[in-house]
Amino acid sequence: MQLRGRKHVATVGGAVAVALLAACSSSSSSSSSSTGATSAPAATAAAASGTLNGAGSTFQLTFQQAAISAYKSVASGVTVNYDGVGSGSGRADLYAGTVNYAGSDSTIPATEESKLNGRKVLYFPVLIGPIDVAYNLPGISNLKLSPKVISDIFQAKVTTWNASEIKSINPGVNLPSTPITLAVRSDSSGTTQNFTLFLQDAVGSAWALGSSSTVKWPSTAHAASGNGGVATTIKSTAGAIGYVDYATAQASGLTGASVQNKAGQFVAPSTTAASAAAAGVTVKPDLTFHAVWASTDPSAYPITYQSWDIVYATQPNATDASLLKAYLGFLIGQQGQALLAPLHYAPLPSNIDSMATAQLSQITS
Amino acid sequence: MMAIASEQQTVDLREPGGWRRTKNQIATVGMWVAFVVMLIPLGFVLFTVIAKGASAISWQFLTGNIPINVLPVTFGGVGPAVYGTLVITGFASLMAIPLGVLGGIYINEYGGNQVLARVINFFADVMTGVPSIIMGLFIFTIWVLHFGYSGFAGSLALACLMLPIVIRSTYEMLRLVPDSLREASYALGATKARVTLTVVLPAAIGGIVSGALLAVARAAGETAPLVFTILVTQTLNKNLFSGANTALSTLIFQNATQPYTGAQARAWGSALTLIAIAFILMIVARLITARFARYDR
Amino acid sequence: MSITTGADPVIPAGSASPLTKRRPFGDRSFQVLCLAAGLLVLIILALIAISMTQQSTTWFTTAGWSGVFSTNWDPAHNAYGALPFIYGTLVTAAIAIVIAFPMSLGIALLLTEVVPGRYARPIVYVIDLLAVVPSVVWGLWGFLVLAPWLQKIYQSIASGLTGFPVLSTFFGGTSVSGTSFFTTGLILAIMITPIVTSLSREVIATVPTIDREGAYALGATRWEMIRGAVWPHSQAGVVGAVLLGLGRAMGETIAAALVIGSSATITTHLFNPGYSMPSVIANEFGEATVGEFRSALIGMGVLLFVLTIIINLSARAIVDRSARRTRGA
Repeated sequence: MQLRGRKHVATVGGAVAVALLAACSSSSSSSSSSTGATSAPAATAAAASGTLNGAGSTFQLTFQQAAISAYKSVASGVTVNYDGVGSGSGRADLYAGTVNYAGSDSTIPATEESKLNGRKVLYFPVLIGPIDVAYNLPGISNLKLSPKVISDIFQAKVTTWNASEIKSINPGVNLPSTPITLAVRSDSSGTTQNFTLFLQDAVGSAWALGSSSTVKWPSTAHAASGNGGVATTIKSTAGAIGYVDYATAQASGLTGASVQNKAGQFVAPSTTAASAAAAGVTVKPDLTFHAVWASTDPSAYPITYQSWDIVYATQPNATDASLLKAYLGFLIGQQGQALLAPLHYAPLPSNIDSMATAQLSQITS
Repeated sequence: MMAIASEQQTVDLREPGGWRRTKNQIATVGMWVAFVVMLIPLGFVLFTVIAKGASAISWQFLTGNIPINVLPVTFGGVGPAVYGTLVITGFASLMAIPLGVLGGIYINEYGGNQVLARVINFFADVMTGVPSIIMGLFIFTIWVLHFGYSGFAGSLALACLMLPIVIRSTYEMLRLVPDSLREASYALGATKARVTLTVVLPAAIGGIVSGALLAVARAAGETAPLVFTILVTQTLNKNLFSGANTALSTLIFQNATQPYTGAQARAWGSALTLIAIAFILMIVARLITARFARYDR
Repeated sequence: MSITTGADPVIPAGSASPLTKRRPFGDRSFQVLCLAAGLLVLIILALIAISMTQQSTTWFTTAGWSGVFSTNWDPAHNAYGALPFIYGTLVTAAIAIVIAFPMSLGIALLLTEVVPGRYARPIVYVIDLLAVVPSVVWGLWGFLVLAPWLQKIYQSIASGLTGFPVLSTFFGGTSVSGTSFFTTGLILAIMITPIVTSLSREVIATVPTIDREGAYALGATRWEMIRGAVWPHSQAGVVGAVLLGLGRAMGETIAAALVIGSSATITTHLFNPGYSMPSVIANEFGEATVGEFRSALIGMGVLLFVLTIIINLSARAIVDRSARRTRGA
């Protein structure tokens, strides 16, 4: 191919031209503080300017949006961007260095640890929330379910509402003979992961589907996209049952079943019950914990989960470090946590909150 | 022959008889049915989008800042997303359309029967089948990892999506321009470039422009490539080349599966806006074609 | 030397191969520019193939060929078999083409043969409108409106066909929510119709008038003229347009992800929920753990790529064999 040399030059030239054009007008690194960076280490948050990029969990998305909005009045020069792409993608972005912080509903799995290349990460929990087992049974508002029954329902071992398993824990409730319609997620999700983790922890080997962001549901299940999709399915189908996060259930007007916790009590989902669940968990020094099926508090709601913002302990430059400290401090501080209740999330228990605040100083550059 | 002709009954050549006429009528009806059948889903979708989205549209909606999900649609709007869509898609078109037309010209005018031209032609087909999400992942790996998230990365992904469509439609159109036009021009001593640019291209311009516009319309509505390249954000970013951005398509996708009525209303309003923008572009371009195309069909 | 252009008449103007010094600089550079633009396709594809293969080696090496082509997709238990998705991609694309081809051809013929010039424009605008609806809107409409409506139709067809030998294997199943292979194929057909129609129409419109008039002069009806004069000339171009549509149908991500039902099973029942390669990538990429899961999803992108090449190769072989080389007049 005698044209090879010329072909090479022409096409490389074209590609380089395009790249140069863009590079000239873009800042050179992903997490840059493009405008004149503050040099005084004692600069207050109000005088700081720069950009922070975060990505990950959709569970955190509404909170992040509210926090970003509120943070503008605290530090008007700082632009924070958060994209709810999913915990897996958020973590992947963190490993690749394209974001400053990753929102994740679960800790970094063992299979991903090699991606860190030995760098240390810090976990900052930011919120707690319950997962509703929402149902659509006209006239019935106080359904009780135990983990074993939930496990059987979601594996399609129990297929009608008036099955003896359900009846025995709901004495006096007039359960219809409607078939149970399962509403599940078609997209992968941290909600699925934590819901299945709860079932795995609570019933052990009776739950055969494993725990992951995607699970092989029975073929009779309706799959819908997003918490909103599942909520719509439940709302429009009599006899439907599914798992949605509490904020979605509240926004859609769905009722969640009262689930039996570790202490044997049937607790309805609420932010108070979620806080009770979180208050009793064992927190490791690196601030990782899991709130599902953990607390023995009788008022705890057992299907409660959490979300972290994960950052590298050592930041590439001082500006990034200070911007992150300020923003994360805002999220876990009083101003940020106050945003949670109206959004139907539960704030962090005070012990976790103080541990997180203390951990802020570990962000260095 | 004459004997056979005289043996036949006198046939009225204006009206084909019996079965032939019926076949013709069935065919004509079939074509109309095809059109009407396509109208039904279109009508349904437009009805749904207008019914759900029209109430949200207002000047404030089109220019206001994006509020948090939970707020009703009367707060803020989708201004940053409108800006993002126009700028990102516009820049992508700027890159993809000229390159696509040139590529189509290469395959048809300069390529002839050479292996290289046939290979490029074949792979342009293959490239139209690459899922949009793969284009997004590709630009993420090649560009975002080195230069960060930006609207420009989104433009690159969309341009990759548009390029093979423009090449293919240019190729198909140029291919059908009669050789006699080219030969006549060569006979007058014009160089190949001149012939292509001033004779062949204008002859095919109608089809080329419509192919390019279909590509633009598709790119404007694409979600997956942008998800991996622009780091969808809430704030307005006027700089295409630096920093996260947003677009109507990603906003629709993110919001429509949310439970909050405000978020859903914003999604449907954005869908209506997007359809309107793309449709206006289409009409403008069709009018330009009608006015400036040298050869009328 | 020629007076008008200054080119040396000895060198045939318009010859493609010799990039000799005697051709004007503008002419040569234009050719190089076109070549570069064409090569961009190959470069981009090569880069896509390389970068995606790099990221999917984990899956290919860990699962091996038997794992990759197994029918079990269960990330919770580290099983990443891709066969259900390959099947789903092929089936939905086939349904889309079977539905879209006659529709598009019918509309294209309508616009070029039946409808007089000035009435064609509104119809063209309507088809354009079909093209500008974003794929996510099609998906949402499909999920919220079409699927529930079709679910009842599927149920009645399925119960009506119980016992029929062949038909019930294809149309005997049903879907709980209406999302299924067939629903996806339908939505894809609607989405690819504008492209196929637009290109077919342009192709058909450039059939020489002489051929058309000749057919009419021989007493042909319009349908016979179409079959005898239009179709042979535009056959290859129309099939090319259909290939373009097929490519789009196989690669359509968001709309398919919302209406396919997300059930990784292989079944002949077209009314059952299924899954396809781009849909699973779209649905599961966000939360996929970095490692074999993510690698498997990207690997499916590679498989889709290979599938597209194979299908295009075979279609091209068919087209080249049957089409007469009619370039221009």
